[in-house]
Amino acid sequence: MSEKNDSQPTIQEKLAELSDHVAWFQSGAFKLEEALDKFKAAEKLAESIEKDLTKLKNDIKVVKKKFDS
Amino acid sequence: MRFYDMENDQIPLLSVSQFSALINQTLEYAFPVVEIEGEVASFKVNQNKFVFFDLKDAESSIGCFMMLFHLRQPIEDGMKVIIRARPKLTAWGKFSLTVEQIRPSGEGSLKKSFELLKAKLEKEGLFALERKRLLPVMPQRVGVISSVDAAGYADFIRIINDRWGGLEVEVAHTQVQGEKAPEQIVRALEYFNEKEQLPDVIVIIRGGGSKDDLAAFNDEPLVRAVAASRVPVLTGIGHEIDESLVDMAADVRAATPTNAAQLLVPDRKEIIRMAHQQAQSTGYQLVQAIEAYESQMKSQLDAAFNRVRERLDDAFERLATLRLAVSQLSPESALRRGYAIVRGSSEVGAMLEIETQKSILKAEVKDVRKK
Repeated sequence: MSEKNDSQPTIQEKLAELSDHVAWFQSGAFKLEEALDKFKAAEKLAESIEKDLTKLKNDIKVVKKKFDS
Repeated sequence: MRFYDMENDQIPLLSVSQFSALINQTLEYAFPVVEIEGEVASFKVNQNKFVFFDLKDAESSIGCFMMLFHLRQPIEDGMKVIIRARPKLTAWGKFSLTVEQIRPSGEGSLKKSFELLKAKLEKEGLFALERKRLLPVMPQRVGVISSVDAAGYADFIRIINDRWGGLEVEVAHTQVQGEKAPEQIVRALEYFNEKEQLPDVIVIIRGGGSKDDLAAFNDEPLVRAVAASRVPVLTGIGHEIDESLVDMAADVRAATPTNAAQLLVPDRKEIIRMAHQQAQSTGYQLVQAIEAYESQMKSQLDAAFNRVRERLDDAFERLATLRLAVSQLSPESALRRGYAIVRGSSEVGAMLEIETQKSILKAEVKDVRKK
């Protein structure tokens, strides 16, 4: 995955955040008053992950160095 | 150098050393390097540094010498080998081949060499399961060692591009078969292991081929380099049935280059599906929580209603009891039991009214006595 910059979390970070939301729903911290906002945030994250994964390309470079002895 | 004139033919007169040097010069000119196939006999290693053996066929035998570090695979007597060597006449007048490369030849010898090296490295623990490291689930930097011209490499790149994005892939282009392949791959492994920012994983890729083509991956220094890599190594070499010693030393072995790509990166379609599924699961949990809350509220209301109803029932029951008691104490109740109500003054001559259940009588007081 590409390097993280300050404003853009990586896919892994977004997936981790999504997992945190899911875990919150099953934890003792769950509050019905906050649940709707958490659900909306989870949906937004899933959309964002799909967008990122669809557009990202791999950067493939062949090393110039020769490996002959 | 002096020349002796013998019937006008000039024949050189040489010292022994000069003649020996001349022979070597001639050999070097005529046969700078030769490849010879034969069977190994009298194989021995001296001082853990020098290797001596004879290379023979049905009619001839030649003594061979080589440095131990040139020996990349186990060799023993009776094995058929191909050597690459320089012919030389030693200072002691013995003709010898200075061997630079030796490799088993023929299926039997390849298998024998494979088994010998496998047993040796297994004993050293190079293939032990506890040495195996897990690959990162979502690598960011990947080092690939392969021939960029190979079909296996093209398959690998196509699959990783199809499955995932955002990878930084650095490819070390090396030979993946032939005598130079092992050393080049070792150097490529060193290159990736010496980088300031290490890759998350190194992948060695080579498509299918004959046993001879894949023999490079049974090279002892290469197997040791794979086992010693600081970075986890994934191999995708040959087909499912081709298991090399490099595969055994690697952290993860894929059956093919395509399979290596599948093991290296997750499928973006699957991750997208999973992300949406997770988001949906929070929705289900929200609905469930609301339903549970609703059910809990309903239960609490039902319980409150039942408590009120029970109290009302109690009150009605008490009221009925009181009503019964009151009704039993009423004058009508006494009349029904046969008593009579007497109204009037208890004085002689006074008129009294006597009420029974069914009639009202008039009577006069005739006598009044104290009880």
